[in-house]
Formats: sequence, C-alpha cells, structure tokens
Amino acid sequence: MTNGGVWVALPLVCLTGGAFALYLVARLFRASNTLLSTLATVVFGAALVLLLPLFARSRAAALHGTALPVLASITPAGAFLRADPGALVLVAIALGIGGSTALYSGRYIAIDPRYATYYPLLLLMVAGMMGMVMTTDLFNFYMFCELMSIAAYVLVAFRRHTDTAIEAGFKYLIMGSVGTIIMLMGIAFIYRETGQLTLPLSGAELGPWQRAGSACFVVGLGLKSAIVPLHTWLPDAYGRAPSSISAVLASVISKSTLYMLPRIYLGLGMPAHDLGLMLIWLAFLNMTLGNALALMQTNTKRLLAYSSIAQTGYIMFSLGIGLRYDVPDAIQAAFFLLLTHAVMKATAFLSKGVCHFYLGTTTVEELRGTAVQLPLVAVTFSLALGGLAGVPPLAGFVSKWFILAQALHPAEPLAYVGLIIFLLNSLLALGYYLPLIARLFTAPQSGDGRPPARVAVSPWMAAPLIVTAALIIAIGVSPGLWLTGVNWMAVFWQDM
Amino acid sequence: MNLNDILLLVILGAPLLTAVLLALWSARLGRAAGWIAAVSEAISLTAALALLPALYYNQAPMLSMAWIPTAGIEFNLQADWLTLPFLVTEAAVTLVAIIYGWGYHHVDERSGYFYALLLIFGVGMSGTTMADDMVLFYIFWELMLVASAALILIWGDGERRGPVTLKYFIFTHVGSLIVLVGLLALYDATGSDAFAVLRAGQWTLAPGVMTMVIVLFLIGFSVKMAVFPVHLWLPDAHTVAPMPVTIMLAAAMLSMGTYGILRFPFSIFTPAQMAPFAVPMMVMGIVSEIYGALMALAERDVKRIIAYSSVSQMGYIMFGLGTMTHDGVVGATLHVIYHAIVKALLFMVVGLLIRATDRRRIGELGGLGGRMPLVALCAVIGALGIAGMPPLGIFNSEWMIFSGGFSSGHIGLAVATLFGSLLTVVYALWFVGRIFFGARPEGLTVGKLPRTMVITTVAVMILLIIEGLLPAPLFIWAEHGLASILGGGL
Repeated sequence: MTNGGVWVALPLVCLTGGAFALYLVARLFRASNTLLSTLATVVFGAALVLLLPLFARSRAAALHGTALPVLASITPAGAFLRADPGALVLVAIALGIGGSTALYSGRYIAIDPRYATYYPLLLLMVAGMMGMVMTTDLFNFYMFCELMSIAAYVLVAFRRHTDTAIEAGFKYLIMGSVGTIIMLMGIAFIYRETGQLTLPLSGAELGPWQRAGSACFVVGLGLKSAIVPLHTWLPDAYGRAPSSISAVLASVISKSTLYMLPRIYLGLGMPAHDLGLMLIWLAFLNMTLGNALALMQTNTKRLLAYSSIAQTGYIMFSLGIGLRYDVPDAIQAAFFLLLTHAVMKATAFLSKGVCHFYLGTTTVEELRGTAVQLPLVAVTFSLALGGLAGVPPLAGFVSKWFILAQALHPAEPLAYVGLIIFLLNSLLALGYYLPLIARLFTAPQSGDGRPPARVAVSPWMAAPLIVTAALIIAIGVSPGLWLTGVNWMAVFWQDM
Repeated sequence: MNLNDILLLVILGAPLLTAVLLALWSARLGRAAGWIAAVSEAISLTAALALLPALYYNQAPMLSMAWIPTAGIEFNLQADWLTLPFLVTEAAVTLVAIIYGWGYHHVDERSGYFYALLLIFGVGMSGTTMADDMVLFYIFWELMLVASAALILIWGDGERRGPVTLKYFIFTHVGSLIVLVGLLALYDATGSDAFAVLRAGQWTLAPGVMTMVIVLFLIGFSVKMAVFPVHLWLPDAHTVAPMPVTIMLAAAMLSMGTYGILRFPFSIFTPAQMAPFAVPMMVMGIVSEIYGALMALAERDVKRIIAYSSVSQMGYIMFGLGTMTHDGVVGATLHVIYHAIVKALLFMVVGLLIRATDRRRIGELGGLGGRMPLVALCAVIGALGIAGMPPLGIFNSEWMIFSGGFSSGHIGLAVATLFGSLLTVVYALWFVGRIFFGARPEGLTVGKLPRTMVITTVAVMILLIIEGLLPAPLFIWAEHGLASILGGGL
C-alpha cells in the first residue's frame, strides 16, 4: 500500500462511481438538468483533485527512478493500472475539458429530453479513456477502449430525434467496432505467440504473429485516431454530435488513441523507425486531405471536424520525425500540439455550440454578424480559430514553432520536404480559418435594416468558454508549465 | 530596472494598455476614444525620443528575461541606433494616422475598437523593431498583420473588403512563414532565440543552408516591402483600407521589410557572404521602381495611383540595399523615413479629396486648385517631394542611393535606376495636374472638410520641408545605426 495500491484507481473509481450515482439520482429524484450538470462537474473536479497526489507521487517515483505506483491485477504478471506521469497529464487535460463540458451542458443540454443518460455517459467516456491510457495490460486496454467507444457512440447519436445523428452514430459504431475487433484479433495473435499481455513485452525475438498483431494495433488505433484513409467516420460523428460532445471527442478522446499508438507499438517491441516513417507519410495525407476538404465545407462543425484531421496530421508528422530520426524533442513538440489542440478545438466547438443554441446557425454563412449578437462568443471563437491557424502569441503558434524547429533538426531530405508540406498546409488552412473569423465580425444581413439585438449568454456556457479561451492565451504567452507536462508525456519513449 | 528599461516598456505598454481600455469601454467613450488613443500614442512617441540621450551616451537600453528556459527562448527588448529611426517613424505615423482619424472616422459605438486596433497595429510595428529575440520578433511581426487585417475587414471601403483582406492576409502571411523558416534555421543552429547569441557569432551554418537562409529572408521581407513580383497584395489592400490604416500601411508598415533585411541578412552575415545577392537585389529594385511608376501612370483610381507609387519607391530602397555600399545602404534607410513622410502626406491629400468630392476616379476630378488651395499646396509639395525635388527630403536619399549605385561598380544598373526615376516625376506631376489644374468637370462639388484632417495634413507638409532642409540629424542616426553593418567592410 505504500507505493500504489488502491489509491491508483481512485480517480477512475470516482468517475465510474459518479456515473452510476448520477444516473440513480436522475432516475430516483427526477433531478433537473442544472443539478445533474453541477454534480457531474463536481465529479470531474473530485477526480482531478484525487489525481493530483497521485501525480505527485508518480512524478517523484519517476524522478528517483523507483517503481511507479501500480494497482496489481489478479494475474501475478501485470499491473492493472499504472500511474505513469505522462498518462496522468493527458488524463488531467481530459478531466478539465470534461468538467468544462459538463458545466457547459447545464444550459446546452437543457433543451434535450434525455439528459438523465447524458452525464453518466460523458463520465463513462472519460473514465474509459482514463483507464485506457493508464493500463499496461493489453486486454484491459481493450476493455477500457470499448467502454470509451461505446459511450462515445451513444453520445454521438444522443439527439436521436434527428435522422442524421442516428446515421452518424451508426457509422461511428460500425467503423469503431471494426477497429476494436481488429485490435482484439491483434491481442489474440500476440498472446498466441508470446503468452504475454503486459507491456512492454519481454522476450528477444519478434515472431510473425507478433508482427501481425502489431499491425492490427496500428490499423485499429489508426482508425480510432482518424488517420487517413481510416478517417471517414469522423466528419459525420463530429458534425452530428451535440457540440459539447464534439468538443470532448475532438480534443481528448480521439487524440488519446493517437497517444497510445506509439506506446503500444513500441511496447510490443517493434522498431520505432518504421513507425516513424509510416507516420510521416500518413501525416502528409492527413494534413493535405483534411485541409483540402475543410476548405470545401459549408457546415461549420464539419469544417472543424476536417480541421481536426489536419491537426492530427501535424501531430503525426512531429511524432514521426521524433521516432524516425531519434529526436526526443520532436515527440515533445507533437504532444505539446496535442495538448494545445485539445484546448483550442474544445473552445471552437463550445463556441460553435453557443451560436447554434441561441441563433440556430449551422452553416458558415449564417455566422455572419455573430459579433453583434454574441460578442463574447465571437471573441472566444476567433481566439480558438486564430490559435488553430497558428497566429502568435496564441497557443497554436508555440506548438507550430516547436514542430518546425524540430523538423529542421535532423537535416534529412524527407524532413525538409515535410516542412514544406507542413507550411503549405498551414497556408491552405488559413483559407478556411480566416473567412470563418471574418464572417463572425462582418455586419449581419438583416431583413429590416435594423441591427439585431445582443443576446445574453447563460453563465453556464460563458464560464467554461472564458476559461478555455483564457488558456489559449496563457499557454501561448507562458508555455513553461505545459512544456513540463509534455515532457512527462514523452518520457515513455525513453523507457522503450 | 533603470529609466531606459521603463522607457522600453512604456513604448509598448502605453498603447497596449490603452487599447485594452478602449476595447472594454468602447460603447461609452464615443468621440473621446480618439483623443485617448492619440494621447497614449504621443506618450509612446515621447518615450521613444527619450531614448536618444541614452544612445548618445552609448548605453544600450535592453530588457532581458528568461521566457521558456528549457527551449532557450527569451523575452528580450532592446533599442539601438538601427531601431530608433524605424521606431520613431512608426510611432509618429501612428500618431498622425490617429489624429487624421478623428475627422475621417465616423463615431459610433465601435469607435473604441477602431482606435484600439490602430494602437495595436502600432504596437506590432514598434515591437518588431524593439524585439531582441526571434519569438518576440515573430509575434509582433504577425500582430501588425492581424491588427491591420481586422481594420481592413471591418472598416474597409466597398463590398470587396472580405476577399481583399483574405488576399492581404494570405500573401503577407506567406512572407511571414518564409521568414519564420529562416528564423528557425538560425534557431536550430544557435540553440537559442536571442539575437545576442546570433550577433556573438559562435555558431556555424552549412554553406548551402546559409544561402537558403539569406534567400528566405530576402524573399520573405520583400513581401512586406511589396517589391515587384511579390507586391500583388498592396494595391488592393491600400485601396480598400480606411484612410488612417492606409497611411500606416504605406508609410510605416512597408518599412518593416527594410528593417528586417537590415536586421537579419545584413547584420548577421558578412558582406562577402551577401555579395552574390547584390545584383539580383538591384535588378529587383529597378524592375519594381519602373513597374510601379508605369502602373501608377496607368491607374485611374486616385488611391491606387499612390499605392503603386509605393511599389515604385520600395524599388529604390531595394536598389539602395542591393548596392551594399555605404552610400546606398544609408540612402535606403533615409529613404524609408522620407518616404514615410511623403507617402503619409500624399495619402492624406487623397483622403481629403475623396472626403470633399466623394469621387475617386481621376477622370472625374480636375481644376480643384481654386476651390481647395491649401490641399492643392500640400499635394504639390508632396508630388514634388516624391519626384525628388531638392530641397525636399527624398532628394537627399535618392542622391545617396544613386551615388551608392555608381560606387558599387554596376554603372549600367545605376544609370537604369536614374532614368527610371524620371517616370516618378511624370506620374507625380500628372497626378497633381489632372486633379488640381485644368477644367473642372460638370457637377463636381466640394464639400466641407473636417479641420483636424486639414491641420494634420499641413503639419506633415511642414515636417517634410523641415526634414528636407535639416537632414543632418537623420543622417547621423542612420549612420550610427548602420555602423555595425557598414563597419563590416561596406
């Protein structure tokens, strides 16, 4: 109990227990949406508070080179959960964004009839993600990944009175299940050959089944992370889900699988260089296709979804550079963008949700004149979009700076080519970010010639927006603290 | 923290803080917003001028803090002799533009944002000249783009402002990204983003990479200067922008490109390393000079004529830099300052014209000299100024640039630029002649002009004459500023 034990599981227990308790409260006492929203926020906050001492201890262990806190599983071999400081950083971000979303939903979901299931599912989704990044055991990884995914499928189809939501949720379900089943097959392959499930695998030789299993993981996790050409579920899912859910999905859920991809691949004993090369080439596809398709979108949420695919490409590019050319700083740069992208994309989706909630806007064209009616949202939205476009001094610029600097570092032709493709893509991206910002601030086309009145934004929605938007500036101006966190996220690479 | 540090912070802080306040109380301030903005910009200008004694006593005002220690990124501000001419020009132009804006800008509940963005645009420019590390440099460099694009987008003239803003943003952002790659290559070579480390020279670049970095800097900064093949953003942006913004774009922002070229390739690479680029730069300058002048002759919109004149004038500067001689580089630096004054004057005159007549096609104007004599006088002085008439300032700088051209040894190019300058005389005189002399077209009425607009215009005209008569202080500043570059053997 000194190092680890049940304490490691406390944040996870808090989330899952909270989910069941919340559902009971909702059903037994017919609790209102605002009460459930408050409770869910409290659960997220409590999990975050429980996470802090765990992080402190795991960080101390990592610094002193002693064993990380673990919760042992029933099988003697492996650990059920392991408090790895890097994973905890990602979890902390997920809890923060989950909490903001829960608060935001206090008003946003109030118009939906089935809010009793919304909050438990949101909690379970984040719990699944948390377990997924903390576990070291492949089978538990699969279980948590399924927990996260199933909650996500239901939440995407949450507004089931619209056909499109059902369709998007179903598409997500089919493709996501294919991904998890492929991973399950991979686990079987690996178990058949090595008889182990705990990462990192011990044993010298790489057998054919082990290679096949690793390939299964690349496909499965690639599908979950929307790596082109396995991205087709994403625009529908993000575009049709409630904005609050899109915010969580885009910022942490599908990025956590991307974080796990190199961890699992390297944990299986596969060579980092091959994965790096593959990620670099796929990154070009992701960036270019994501940006080119985003340019054609007229629906704001689909546009943001395609921009996520492009941003995934940027992360993959830097990750690929790091793995291919042994540049640890490039891996840090990738995870730094992962964190900043989470904050920026969450802000963008939440801002979009407010526009939809009050003004009923769905297309880019309808956003015209938002600055007059919802000045706060216009500001937060443009901060998010400016950040995604890499305008200094916002968070996105710092991440871009690090990635570009690291891409120059190895002095390899492929990295130079990648740098040029990266730059061309960030230009291409301006082609949709800027008109979007411009629409927000141009005068609305009003029928009767009078300017539309200002709409008061509910504090439930305003508070999370202000916090995340402030973070975009804060990370951009003083990235020191975040870099430390990212440093921990990249540490796994050195263990393997 | 001594006085110099405080001055450095005031130069940036006063307008920045005021901008925040103006944005917060935009609806309530009304007309006062413009006055407050002018006062804060005046404070900034005074603080910039107050740095002079320190520079004369060879103190180097410098503010240095660690920012992201793990990545070797610092937060450094400085002011040296190279900074000062650009800093003062930029702050003065911003002040003039704000005061001119009192009359130009129609006051409504968004006026606070208008002046706040003008101030931020100014902060972007002064920050660019004062930044002493790469990240800060790039942040301010992009800040001026963001602020000016917002101004054009929201307060621009005409229906095309959205597409024009997009074109402006993307075009100049491409330039910024090219500069960024150059900066990153240096960052990768030195492991720190501080300019001090760059200047110390304890780092090496592979020859191929070095050539690439120089080319990147020259192309990237040329976009901001709007020299011939990369000038395409300028005419549209200048035409659509509201007049105070046009003044700031033409008179101050274009010069940031020159500053970049002086600060980066010229300061950190040796003349021998730069030598291969001399002739390309000079040729680019001549082409830009002649092309801009011809386009100015071909244009019919008064604002576009003056806009193309900027392309032409930037050609002179590029030529002067390309000579890489003492006279040429000093002349180019002086030309930045003189061009700022003349171009501000000409755009102010155009703004008055458009305000008074509500017309902007040159065929619809004419014979206005009798109706608005003071404006006509300003226009004539401005046109003579840009044509290089002695004793107005541009004569001095063009003299230096031409002299640099001859002493560089490329006599053919020097003669070409000399003859190219004839075209400037043609369009300048043609412009004044068509508008203020000759017959007045039917139905041309002259409205009343706001007094503040006329007074600022006249003040700039007087400044132009004074600068031309007393060029010595500016010469000394420029020579001091370029000492490190010129000392390198130029």
